[in-house]
Amino acid sequence: MSATLGLDAARALDPSGYAMSGTAPRFAIRPADRGELCEALRAATRDGLGVVPWGGGVSLSREAAPPRFDVALDLRGLDRVTEYEPDDLTLTAECGVTIESLREKLQARGQELPLEAAEAWGATLGGVLASNASGARRQALGSPRDRILGARFALGEGTLARSGGKVVKNVAGYGIHRLLCGSRGGLAVIVEVSLKLQPAPASRAAMVFGVDAATIADAGRWSFIPRMEPSALTVIGRAAADLNPVLSTRAPFTTVIGFEGEAAHVERQCESVRQALGAAKVKVADDSATKLWQHLADLEELQGPRLSFTTTANTPAALAALGDDFVIERCVFHAPCGRLHVFPAADQASVVLSRLRAAGFTLIDARGVALEARATSIGIETMRGAIRRALDPGARFALGG
Amino acid sequence: MGRPEQRAKLGLVNWTPAHLDELRALLGDDGVLASDAALFTYEADALVLDHARPDVVVLPRSSDEVSAVVRWARAHDVPVTPRGAGTGLAGGATPELGGIVLSVNRMDRVLKVDPERMFAWVQPGLVNLWLSQQVARHGLYYAPDPASQQVSTVGGNVATNAGGPHCLKYGVTLNHVLGVVAVLHDGVTVTLGGEAPDAPDFDLASLVIGSEGTLAIVTEICVRLLPKPEAVKTMLFDFVTIEQACRTVSSAIASGIVPAAMEIMDRHTTSLVEAWLHIGLPVDAGAVLLIEVDGPAVSLEPQVERVIALARAEGTRSVRVAKDEAERAAIWRGRKSAFGAYGRTASGFYIMDGVVPRTRLAEALSTIYRLCEERGLEAGNVFHAGDGNLHPHVLFNADDPAAQSRALEASHEILRMCIRMGGTISGEHGVGIEKRSMMSELFEPDDLAVMARLRDALNPERRLNPCKILPGGGGCRESTASRQGAPAQMGGMHVRPDGEGPWI
Repeated sequence: MSATLGLDAARALDPSGYAMSGTAPRFAIRPADRGELCEALRAATRDGLGVVPWGGGVSLSREAAPPRFDVALDLRGLDRVTEYEPDDLTLTAECGVTIESLREKLQARGQELPLEAAEAWGATLGGVLASNASGARRQALGSPRDRILGARFALGEGTLARSGGKVVKNVAGYGIHRLLCGSRGGLAVIVEVSLKLQPAPASRAAMVFGVDAATIADAGRWSFIPRMEPSALTVIGRAAADLNPVLSTRAPFTTVIGFEGEAAHVERQCESVRQALGAAKVKVADDSATKLWQHLADLEELQGPRLSFTTTANTPAALAALGDDFVIERCVFHAPCGRLHVFPAADQASVVLSRLRAAGFTLIDARGVALEARATSIGIETMRGAIRRALDPGARFALGG
Repeated sequence: MGRPEQRAKLGLVNWTPAHLDELRALLGDDGVLASDAALFTYEADALVLDHARPDVVVLPRSSDEVSAVVRWARAHDVPVTPRGAGTGLAGGATPELGGIVLSVNRMDRVLKVDPERMFAWVQPGLVNLWLSQQVARHGLYYAPDPASQQVSTVGGNVATNAGGPHCLKYGVTLNHVLGVVAVLHDGVTVTLGGEAPDAPDFDLASLVIGSEGTLAIVTEICVRLLPKPEAVKTMLFDFVTIEQACRTVSSAIASGIVPAAMEIMDRHTTSLVEAWLHIGLPVDAGAVLLIEVDGPAVSLEPQVERVIALARAEGTRSVRVAKDEAERAAIWRGRKSAFGAYGRTASGFYIMDGVVPRTRLAEALSTIYRLCEERGLEAGNVFHAGDGNLHPHVLFNADDPAAQSRALEASHEILRMCIRMGGTISGEHGVGIEKRSMMSELFEPDDLAVMARLRDALNPERRLNPCKILPGGGGCRESTASRQGAPAQMGGMHVRPDGEGPWI
């Protein structure tokens, strides 16, 4: 067995830089291209090693290490933008390119990357798709699965395959690329993807309000907002908001409402909100709003254990059921897409889970605590197992679980 | 990679009246059809070139009844082919190995509407347009609008991940489905996704959507509803050349506008539609371009002005902006009647569903005309220009086998051109039977092998809709087009010249 997995010694890296919640892998390796990536997977197959595909480590470094954490496969060497045709509003890039560098490239052409992620300077395209990451604008931008047009991926045995394509409409073949979104590197390595882009909006605005618990719970106050199709409607508990001066309102909750589109429309929407909710504590526009979206995405990666939920509720009033203790102090709730993150102490996690389940929230991810987020239906487990055996029969990918 | 062909033909059961009685016991007498007339009706979908007679047609009313049918079929080793309205253009509902056609036509109810949270649960046999009609009183609608929407079902739309003219802005079926209830190959019922926007773990719903009934049978669907746009503006431009129309599409996209729809009809199509409907289309134009923008009223006027300026810069001869809903409806009727207009006049034609990057539209169109001209054939084009989704019609005399063969060859070359340009062989109709052999031109063997692995994992006996999407497979025959000596099966269909037929 070799620490280089058959590659040049220069590709081997210090495993301590790839720790998951403090546990380092046995090896870490950074292939320079897809050929080397496949070579490394073939070597891992020969040696029976468990592989964790690694992007910026934004999410993985905070997760628990899997039992077979043999190899961290650093994909940041695969960072080419292979095709960008602005007039097609599509882009094809390798998995290791960072979100921030993609944004800069698109911004120069007046276009927008429809993906959001914490720590965008380090988060990679592949990592964001594999972890199904998002931010405040998830409903407006669509989920990763809504934006991916096709992918080239490497199977555990070291074979490259492809599904979908690079054009915006395509129904030829199975949507394996969509299945890989949110698969956490547990089925295959996303090597290269094509995305559907969008023009950057002419105008953006975000209003920041300080809100008390009674106002949050007043469903009638918020009910008009979903139909205004806001880009953002995020509620943040005081302790989380206080981490960022822009978001800190000193109120029990900070609520951010954002709109994007034609300038006249954005202005009109903001005015409607002002009439309903009063003047905002802070109002930012355009580039400052873009920065604010990033602050909101960054809040999803607060330190410590994290429980992530989804709900059908699409207004701040959904939080009324949470009570008003430590849970709500550090919550981040993106109402339009129904995604809630809470950061309880590890020994409180199961109590919090029961309380949120009772309030209609479904757990979709548990990090740093020993809770199972997966659906429990036997049919789904069977289906999942069959897919896993079909795509990764050697169980090469340690996070496929 | 991949596994060897593992089974012989399904559906070898020797059907007896006792079998039908068992099914009637599960579904009631009116849930089982076995007369010659019924079986003939379900031989094919709108791809009438390929047809195969089912042994029985069943009409379940619920997920439980679908599950019961699938369990029965498994016990008797019979294939099951699900079917919506049968408007599919790729043979996806054709029971190639016989067996059971499972029609969802009686599963046509809206089960639940939540106007605040803007979703609805529906059964798969619900007609697409009925869904929007039923939620209209809440100020909501269901965005995917395939041209067949007055007939086609939401379940069929899910199977093919259907698009439509407005998917340029709003996305395809996948983008509007939150979750599905589905019956797996062994009859087990699962809920994949649901009312909330996310689900834990693998996104199994997005895999089942667009799988043409080959991975599971979808029996309930949770769809996202949208607030009706505040305002709509529909514009019609005419150009001397189709290239000008294509360039206008590109420059609109490049300028940062995402219209709700951008549709082009060429001279051939326009003249056929106008001769039929008399709606004032310019028959001497090289192409007409329909652009629709929608959204907040305050956003529309600036967009309309920019679009008109772009069209003028490309040399449009005239600008028509629909004054009211009636004029808008007339313009759209013209567009959506294109297929019928061809059916009225041509004795036979093949229609394709290829996609090219939208920046290469003009080049693709001139290649299409050339490929047909070289073979002494006429071609017409009506297409979703904003998406690069082409629907070339290759016309031929249906009584002339040599002409038909040349038309098939031209069709094949057109789809090859789409592949060469970085596009695909189907944008919205699906692969079905029709294009399965072309999958090996679009994909590498390793790509198809991994797709086959996935299909075999979820449909291990290939009982669910056998012989679809992937080339090859136990018991599946060659497609009709291949049998007729064309180089491979391709995007073909043959419509009877009675004006009836599918929609694109």
